[in-house]
Amino acid sequence: MKVIILFLWMLPFALFGQTTISGTVTDFGSGIALPGVSVVVVGTTVGTTTDASGSYKLQLPTTSGKVQFSFLGYVAQTFNVNASTETLNVQLQEKTTSLQEVVVTGLATTVKRTNLANAVSTISTKEITGITSPQTMDAAISGKLVGANIVSNSGAPGGGIAIKLRGITSVFGNAQPLYVVDGVIIDNSSISAGLNAVTAAASGGSSSNQDNPSNRIADLNPDDIESIEVLKGASAAAIYGSLASAGVVIITTKRGAMGKTLVDFSQDIGWTEVTKLLGMRELNEERVRDSWGDEAVPLFLEARNAGRLIDYEEELYGNKGLLLSSKLNVSGGTEKTRFFVGGLIQDEEGIVKTTGYEKKSIRFNLDHVLSKRFDFSLSTNYINSSADRGLTNNDNAGVSFGVALSSTPSFVNLFPDAEGNYPENPFAASNFLQTRDLMTNNEETNRFLGGFTLNTMLYETLRSSTKLVIRSGLDFYNLKTTAIFPRQLQFQSDGRGTNGASIQGNTNNLNTNYAAFLVNNTNLGEDVFSFTTTLGATRENFNQDNILNVATQLIKTQTNLDQSGAVQVSQDQLKVRNKGLFFQEEVNFRDRIIATAGLRLDKSSNNADVNKFQAFPKASLALNVANFDFWTMERVAMLKLRVAYGESGGFPPFGSKYTSFVASNTGGLPGLLVAVQRGNENIKQERQKELEAGVDIGLLGDKVILEATVYNKTVSDLIINQNLKPSTGFTRGYVNAGELRNRGIELALSATPFETAGLKWDSRTSFWLNRSKITELTIPPFTIGGFGNTLGTFFIEEGKSATQITGIKGNEGVQVLGDSQPDFQMNFHNFFTIKQNFTFSFLFHWKNGGDNINLTELLTDLGGTSPDYDDDDNGDGVPNAEERVRALGVSAEPFVQDASYLRLREIGLYYTLPNTLLDGAFGGFVRTLKVGASANNLFIITDYKSYDPEVSNFGGNGLSTGVEVMPFPNSRRIFFHFAIGF
Amino acid sequence: MNSYISIPRILKAASLMLLTITLTSCEIDDFPDPNNPIIEPNASVTELNYLVVGTESGMRNFLGTYYDNVGVIGREHYRFSGADPRFTTDLLGFSTSVLDDNTFYTTNPWGARYRVVKNANILIERAENSTLITEEQRQGYIGFAKTIKAHQLLMNLTMTNENGIRIEVEDVDNPGPIVKGDDAYAALANLLNEAATHLGSAGTTFAFPLSAGFAGFDTPATFLEFNRGLAARIAVYRGRYSEALTLLEASFLDLTGNFDRGVYYTFSTAPGDQLNPLFFAPNATGEVRIAHPSFVADATPGDARLSKVSLRTASATQNFLTGQYDVAVYSSLLDPVPIIRNEELILIYAEAKIQTNQLGDAVTALNRIRTANNIGVYTGPQTQQALITEMLRQRRYSLYFEGHRWVDMRRYNRLSELPIDRAGDDVWVSFPIPFAES
Repeated sequence: MKVIILFLWMLPFALFGQTTISGTVTDFGSGIALPGVSVVVVGTTVGTTTDASGSYKLQLPTTSGKVQFSFLGYVAQTFNVNASTETLNVQLQEKTTSLQEVVVTGLATTVKRTNLANAVSTISTKEITGITSPQTMDAAISGKLVGANIVSNSGAPGGGIAIKLRGITSVFGNAQPLYVVDGVIIDNSSISAGLNAVTAAASGGSSSNQDNPSNRIADLNPDDIESIEVLKGASAAAIYGSLASAGVVIITTKRGAMGKTLVDFSQDIGWTEVTKLLGMRELNEERVRDSWGDEAVPLFLEARNAGRLIDYEEELYGNKGLLLSSKLNVSGGTEKTRFFVGGLIQDEEGIVKTTGYEKKSIRFNLDHVLSKRFDFSLSTNYINSSADRGLTNNDNAGVSFGVALSSTPSFVNLFPDAEGNYPENPFAASNFLQTRDLMTNNEETNRFLGGFTLNTMLYETLRSSTKLVIRSGLDFYNLKTTAIFPRQLQFQSDGRGTNGASIQGNTNNLNTNYAAFLVNNTNLGEDVFSFTTTLGATRENFNQDNILNVATQLIKTQTNLDQSGAVQVSQDQLKVRNKGLFFQEEVNFRDRIIATAGLRLDKSSNNADVNKFQAFPKASLALNVANFDFWTMERVAMLKLRVAYGESGGFPPFGSKYTSFVASNTGGLPGLLVAVQRGNENIKQERQKELEAGVDIGLLGDKVILEATVYNKTVSDLIINQNLKPSTGFTRGYVNAGELRNRGIELALSATPFETAGLKWDSRTSFWLNRSKITELTIPPFTIGGFGNTLGTFFIEEGKSATQITGIKGNEGVQVLGDSQPDFQMNFHNFFTIKQNFTFSFLFHWKNGGDNINLTELLTDLGGTSPDYDDDDNGDGVPNAEERVRALGVSAEPFVQDASYLRLREIGLYYTLPNTLLDGAFGGFVRTLKVGASANNLFIITDYKSYDPEVSNFGGNGLSTGVEVMPFPNSRRIFFHFAIGF
Repeated sequence: MNSYISIPRILKAASLMLLTITLTSCEIDDFPDPNNPIIEPNASVTELNYLVVGTESGMRNFLGTYYDNVGVIGREHYRFSGADPRFTTDLLGFSTSVLDDNTFYTTNPWGARYRVVKNANILIERAENSTLITEEQRQGYIGFAKTIKAHQLLMNLTMTNENGIRIEVEDVDNPGPIVKGDDAYAALANLLNEAATHLGSAGTTFAFPLSAGFAGFDTPATFLEFNRGLAARIAVYRGRYSEALTLLEASFLDLTGNFDRGVYYTFSTAPGDQLNPLFFAPNATGEVRIAHPSFVADATPGDARLSKVSLRTASATQNFLTGQYDVAVYSSLLDPVPIIRNEELILIYAEAKIQTNQLGDAVTALNRIRTANNIGVYTGPQTQQALITEMLRQRRYSLYFEGHRWVDMRRYNRLSELPIDRAGDDVWVSFPIPFAES
């Protein structure tokens, strides 16, 4: 936010040949002394660290030189020191969105934020984990990214999220950003646990994934992350190639700093509870008779007279889950070697009994300087995570928690007897309490991430240097999904199911990526011009092998696959090979004019022509007007005009070129049936062209910074999984068949409205909106991602919004009923430092507009359990639910609902013990001690008539977010924190 | 201020070369689909047999949806689903609901049948071009493929009826026109006749195995009897009754034989196989098939065919519809489902005899059905009109939940006789052509 703010007092004193300096290092905002700050004479091995009171003393080997102060999480500072310097007190500033920070724009190069031609969103560690403890990495960025539409799929433990940067990038291709962690391209698959074998969710007409799996990005430990940079479109991400067509999320993990070894331990303890319950319908005899028939009336009367009307919604979703999380970070290093160790043990219960999330993560990052010529860095991470996710979302067998709940009235008894026998639920296919208690739906991941970068200085003179960077990354995980449905479950017993099912999936995923770059920096004319030339090559290999076993007719209570009467096996392999070449030239004229041009060449085994390179150019220009000599307005410290253009193109989905036969057996004989997908022998990459322009203004010594950006992003050769005439035997086939456009505005205002010793207030307000349009469609318009026009569906049509929702509307036929695209989004992020010891911060997120397809309400209406079933909102004498049910088949309007919300996403209050107190109590042994409390999702204001407007029955990819059918409700998380550092 | 220019330019050049060689110069392999095979253009017996088995297997895809469609509209049963209300709204024309041309109940069965047609067409094409099989084997494959193709097309035509079907679908990019009315039925009859010719020159055995569902119908000669049975069904649909009688003679009709003899879809728990989608356990809740109350109410007391439904311990209700009886035609997930069986042929025989005014023969056949089901001989008027009603009634009970009631009432223009349960409900005449075909 602010540029360097340092205060130094120089006292003129002449000394001997060697200069000795001393002073204290404090935090700029709070004024608290910073122990462990590394103080080094640049270009030498001479250095020290600050003590517990932040003081240091250092003798320079020469009379003058440069001294650098660096500390984890703070902007490093370098000062010139000469013989006259004796005291050098330094105030280091925490990294927030400092303009001085460097941004990783190229694959091997960085640019100072002030020189950037793109609006790159950065989230620092303070924003990621500084306010509250997110359950998973994906939850850590929700609501914090300008230009992103982030929707969590449900409240199930273990996450699951859809991120769309600057609108829809692809309808059927990859619409999720690329994740790069310390140079390692990491997999973000959502792999189904095969629950469809029990729920039959996809047999009713939708082939989409409705099993509510998590995404694998959730595995990362948010506390390991130093910063997240997001390149939102091709104009910024072109050099990353086609994999990054939907943007890149560049995650940099924490690394050690030279100096004293720092040990930080923190413990979080808290609870989670459902944010909202819908409530149950109030029943009387007449209502029971109408909804469940005469036979139900005595049951109702008996239960009511015995005071045994149960709020089953609360019973199911009302668990208060205990949240525990312990983190230990150890970091430090010498001039040659630096290290960071991050450990996490997390154990969280869910709002549904028997659900929960556990994670163990250990990270080891190492940086070593071998010589002046060679240095390397190593990043490693091992993660073990386990999520018990319950059984939610759409199903056609009446077995998921919510679908069974929707037709279960309060007067039935579902509780087990003393012997543990559960009564049958006469009003649904399953007793959800029994299902909850006896079933298993677990995802367990064991994952290793490893990244290695070797830098070799090939050539270095005063004016020019050439560096070779070789990088390799490896991401391996095994995901084991275990879904057990014992034979005594209501829907498995007595021939109503398969007498038990043990569904076990095993996925091995190995991604490797290699890259080599030559980077040349050349200065001409006494730093007038500087050139950065990058030449590189990249290679990625992706392998995924998923084996799913469905064992049924289980023997007694056994769950092993072979303890069964029947086993169905399926295997699905994914194999992708990509290669890329790129060249980039950056010219910087005195930080006034910064111009970049580049070219990326890509080829992939997913293209029909695997060895044909596609070329994607990019160019950008940034003008720092305030840096020119003619600029005299001191109040405006920065005025930057910028424009950037880039091209990229999503690869076709794996397998889209193949026309194959699938196994289809009968009579114990092997058979082949033609696949429903017609392969396309000419399928090629999409081509995205993004132009963005903006202005950045820094006022009052950068106390106020406004960044304004507009963009226009078009994607041509749009890959569409076309509905073919099913009479041809094929129902789908991938084609390049259209063009879409996204236009949008992003505004970010950062300010420090107050900054005194007693109170510091940092604030950031962002506003963003996006409008999409299908500008060309060479195939007939089609529906996607819903349950047909009767219930509302997305509809891709030329000239219309890519996210429009259509449905039947009485006599008017099929009409546009809504759009899932928000009208705009805003966030309001605030950090207060009070009296140097208290920090208070919160994040509001407002999404205005954007519709969901809410089928939860429909199911409770049909099941006779809607809380407002008997109300009559429009006073026409027909009860609400009856009116809505009557609309079924007539109009889909009641199901398409506004999903606007205002959410207090995060709030946190922390107290850091003053140093004097610490010194007194622990004698300098303890460096820092912090306690606090925080909450996530403390409240949501919305008119949306279900659990949470952030929801997706169909998971994350594609268009279909915002459709809901009895989801896992979202939860609120409340924490107490304790952190101690040595 | 470092200047260690010790690395000569040659090293710089070498590293550049290293870059290009190790990372880019090698080509990307254009590997085949790692998950699924293709069928070679010149196919062997083994490969052709994969297509035969796949064709037979695929006939069962979305069978449950098909039977729910025709059974619910034909007021044979209700399909209550906790998860999908459209079985009780769209299919029954609840309020102002209409059949949707772009949702699962329309598109899934239609697509599944054409997928089998596609497989059969590939089988025909590969058999025609194979140099690795004998001529008799070739005729066998083609005869099989054309028969199954005709059956699959007929299934779609019974759904869409006067809206028609596509017959020529070999060319994926330019499928033939939608053929309507009798032209469509005629095309299927013709296809079955072509198949019969092929089967006639296919020797004594097939080169391929079939499942137990074709037990007794797995040689060219016996498979032909199945083919003629299907042709007889189409003939009565077309009102060509004397032709039907001729066809029945070449079929497996046995007036005194076992009603259940015929060709079946089979099910098993073996890998890659399917389970009977028409079986729901008795007294299930949530997902149920409830017999339409009129099935029991209208039945002759003591009719043995009432065993096709079973009294529930508690009635089932959804969306203002209630029923006491489960559909109980099948008793396990492994029960076979008939494609065509002798009981239907007997009733086709009766129908053709009535329509050709040989009423005595017709009554004999109907009595065979009646007495076997414990309701005694026919005592009503021996008129064409009365016997048609009687024949339709016996078809209703004998072929309950086998997909005939709706079709029969439609072809005799009696859909208005089907019961209406809720004011405003409709009895649909036919399904729309799926949206994606337009």
